[in-house]
Amino acid sequence: MNSENFASVNRSVLIYAAIVIVFGLIAVRLFTMQIINQEEYDRRSAGNSIKGIEQVPLRGVFYDRNFEVIVSNTPAYTLRILPADYDRKLSTLLDKVLEMDSGYVDGILEKNKIYSKFVPLRIRRGIDFKVVSWLEENSEHLPGVDYVVEMQRGYPVNIMASHTFGYTKEISPNQLRQERDFYNPGDYVGHNGIEKTYEKLLRGTKGYNFVLVDSRRREIGKYRDGTEDKVSIKGKDLVLSIDADVQRTAEQEMKGKRGAIVAIEPRTGEILGMVSSPDYDLNQFSYFTSKEFLDSLYNHPDKPSFNRATMSLKPPGSTFKMLSAIAALDMGVITPQSTIFCGGGFTFGRFFKCHGSHGAVNVFRALEKSCNTYFYQLIYKIGLDKWKEYCDKFMFGHMTGIDIGEESKGLIPNSAYYEKIYGPNWPRSIMASLGIGQGEVSVTPLQLALFTALIANDGKSFTPHIVKGYLDEYTRDFVPIEFDKIETGIKKSVFDVVKEGMYLVVHGAGTATRLKVDEYTTAGKTGTAQNPHGKDHALFVGFAPYEDPKIAVAVVIENIGFGGTHAAPVAKKIFEAYLKKEKKYDDNLRTLSKDEKIAGVNIAR
Amino acid sequence: MRVDYNISDKFDFGLFIPAVLLMIIGYFAIYSATISHPTAVGNFEKQLVSGVIALIVFFVVYFIPTNSFRMLSLPVYISSIVFLLAVITIGKTVSGQKSWLIIGPVGFQPSELAKLGVILALSAFLSKKNTDIESFKDIVIALLIGFLPVGLILLEPDLGSSIIFMGMILILIFWKGISLFGLFVVLSPAFVAISSLFGTYSLIGSLLIVGTLLLLFRKDLFFSASVFALNLAAGFFTDYVYNAFSPHQQKRIQAFIDPMSDPLGSGYNSIQAQVAIGSGGLFGKGFLSGNQTQLQYIPEQWTDFIYCVIGEEFGFMGSVIVLILFTSLFVRLLKIASATKDEFLSLVVVGILSVFFIHYVINVGMVVGILPVIGIPLPFVSYGGTSLLVNTIMLGVVANIYRNRKNYT
Repeated sequence: MNSENFASVNRSVLIYAAIVIVFGLIAVRLFTMQIINQEEYDRRSAGNSIKGIEQVPLRGVFYDRNFEVIVSNTPAYTLRILPADYDRKLSTLLDKVLEMDSGYVDGILEKNKIYSKFVPLRIRRGIDFKVVSWLEENSEHLPGVDYVVEMQRGYPVNIMASHTFGYTKEISPNQLRQERDFYNPGDYVGHNGIEKTYEKLLRGTKGYNFVLVDSRRREIGKYRDGTEDKVSIKGKDLVLSIDADVQRTAEQEMKGKRGAIVAIEPRTGEILGMVSSPDYDLNQFSYFTSKEFLDSLYNHPDKPSFNRATMSLKPPGSTFKMLSAIAALDMGVITPQSTIFCGGGFTFGRFFKCHGSHGAVNVFRALEKSCNTYFYQLIYKIGLDKWKEYCDKFMFGHMTGIDIGEESKGLIPNSAYYEKIYGPNWPRSIMASLGIGQGEVSVTPLQLALFTALIANDGKSFTPHIVKGYLDEYTRDFVPIEFDKIETGIKKSVFDVVKEGMYLVVHGAGTATRLKVDEYTTAGKTGTAQNPHGKDHALFVGFAPYEDPKIAVAVVIENIGFGGTHAAPVAKKIFEAYLKKEKKYDDNLRTLSKDEKIAGVNIAR
Repeated sequence: MRVDYNISDKFDFGLFIPAVLLMIIGYFAIYSATISHPTAVGNFEKQLVSGVIALIVFFVVYFIPTNSFRMLSLPVYISSIVFLLAVITIGKTVSGQKSWLIIGPVGFQPSELAKLGVILALSAFLSKKNTDIESFKDIVIALLIGFLPVGLILLEPDLGSSIIFMGMILILIFWKGISLFGLFVVLSPAFVAISSLFGTYSLIGSLLIVGTLLLLFRKDLFFSASVFALNLAAGFFTDYVYNAFSPHQQKRIQAFIDPMSDPLGSGYNSIQAQVAIGSGGLFGKGFLSGNQTQLQYIPEQWTDFIYCVIGEEFGFMGSVIVLILFTSLFVRLLKIASATKDEFLSLVVVGILSVFFIHYVINVGMVVGILPVIGIPLPFVSYGGTSLLVNTIMLGVVANIYRNRKNYT
């Protein structure tokens, strides 16, 4: 060949030839592999013998503020089906063995058709031991059916805290689509409460074991001696601010009543106890949740699934008188000594009644005696929009940002609100009721508790929260979670006056003198919210000890009567549970000793 | 002159449609390969994001003025070299290779960018008026432009990308119009080097062939002797380079020579890939139903072994459709390269064609077991953001050249 000739050869023809030849070569190769030798490859593919088994990590447990385990993990059996190996003719039999309606097993298989056939599906959790032994005996005739031991939630101490803890539930198709990087069909995820908010900390990291299996997929040993295995990592254990004794007492006090209690540590915003009554048994969610139970939860007239502590909206009644007092003092429209005359009521357009004739009262007396006349007039001195500004400072009309998802904002009206309803000449007489916490104003028990905590701690606290932090999964050191500060920016002298008024409610000649005990001092305020649909709601807010507040409480009991009679005694029990008990632990978290670190892991089971 | 405003006159669907179809097939395969995988399950969504960005970038490149490519050639080339130097010094090591550069939240592979850099720079040099490819000086300059990044990439060390570059450089020089003897001088050392990997007899045999061909060319004795010495050096130098490779790359080369020598080691991937494809049959096992794929017999199947997902789950029909799409894309690129009168642009198109083509040959050849296992992605189909982005940029360059072809005739 001559090199000069070569230069004139059409290069594109050569490249074209290369493209076509490569196509031909690969196509022929594919034809040999996929058409001629397909059976041989198929045989080798079927003989492949390594199986990856997902290791679900232990979910993190919950400790209370004294390091008592309050939510744990307990073992239970789960029946699973591997769709690739399963024969649907078995479904009728399985439905019967599981005592489920016919079509149950096929229903689950149908629902999960879009996922890989080689990942086992959980059919039923918490199966009976009888079913387990039946599976063992008949495993030869049940291809693709097996069972595993999985961990379920357990509640070792005698507290419910249903709305606070929340429960885990099989992942919804929607959530699964969004978070395929972690979850598989049938995985359980936190559905509400803390279980939901802290899902990412609690769930841990999945592991994988690789095993050799025979042609019937029975395990015959580890693949490469387990060197390729990935160990699962347990979820983080949460340390809650809940005090088990406070929580238990609050739940007992609320038995048979409708309403809510929230107890907060004023300095930190930590929730010591939170109850919404009626509540429900979280154990019902751990295994298989029956239809009857769900029915009782969602269709009962008392709505047990509704978290009254953070969502129910009620007028705060007289417990709101502190807000008017704070606003007026801070703005300087009154001094602690300035008086208003109460002759049994107040006339503004119409007559507004007081429950007595208190004479000339100053702010201390007005709070002590819960004088309506004083506060009817005070709101006109403050002005509606200014009054709302002070409500805003205490988070009324806003979500507090508590670390469980469900929360209501409540309603604090301003002049724009009334203009919208009545026009620019809205009747100013409406304002009078707002001064005593009646009328359009509505708040949640949580907001009331935060309000009380802010008063107790001179206007400063943190976003209310239930989780203090978590334990590092390796070192078991406590890692705190930080929450936002709340600062009202109101002078301490203002709070001193209001706190003294609340002190007199209990220790003077006020409406809650029955709370007086020898061991500690208490400050508080009763409230009775009128209810057009039935009996009045009873309210109480308060804190103790008066000199150095350690606990602030809001109690709201629906349709029961006078606040001093029904709500105040409940608060007393809660103060006692927290303040009177033997001080077993320091206020601050103790450092765990080395032995306890190991024990901590064991407790977690 | 009347300008034809027909859309297909401006926009080359013959180029765009096969690439988009390959991307779509790739999405199906990536979804299937990652859906039940413990760590890679989010890759499908990531690739969707990359795909949207890539399409946007495609149209940006499509609309920039064509003459800017020549102006950009030097900056792109120099920044490629800077990035490659950076990756060797501060790059992130992934499976024994320093090929990732992490800037803020995004990581990318500079070797991908360097492909475009070398194509533009080499094309610019070769299309200069006074460049004579038959002169010793110019061929050395051309090889230096090409092999500087290759040297840096070998230091990562990334064997696969280096091979792409070498092939691409050869094809560009070939397209410029080198003589058969020139091509022989450039190619024969590579031939001897590869042969030496197969043992001493193979090395001696290849040297004999080179010697015989040299005699047939009847060049003067001194020149022929120098070329033979070069070949001899290449043969022995290969042994040195082979030892410089990381053990996992050495194993891959050995496994190609005898895949059964280590059925659970590096030959394992190759065998499992072939089993996956072969067991697919005519129509495949069905989407999400390939047991080889779903049980993860082939590691990292969404990247370099993506073609066997298609082979297993969509069978012979699916695999051949992919081949046809690639072939039609290549033929289209070749047609544009031949029709483009501007030499620089013609070279750029051929460079891009060669990058796509060599990726395709090595990747598919590896997966079906006719080439050794070398980690190279299948363009437009494999998972990988940088690779997809650079591939669509290159496609955008060609689409741009097509759009403006009438201005350069």
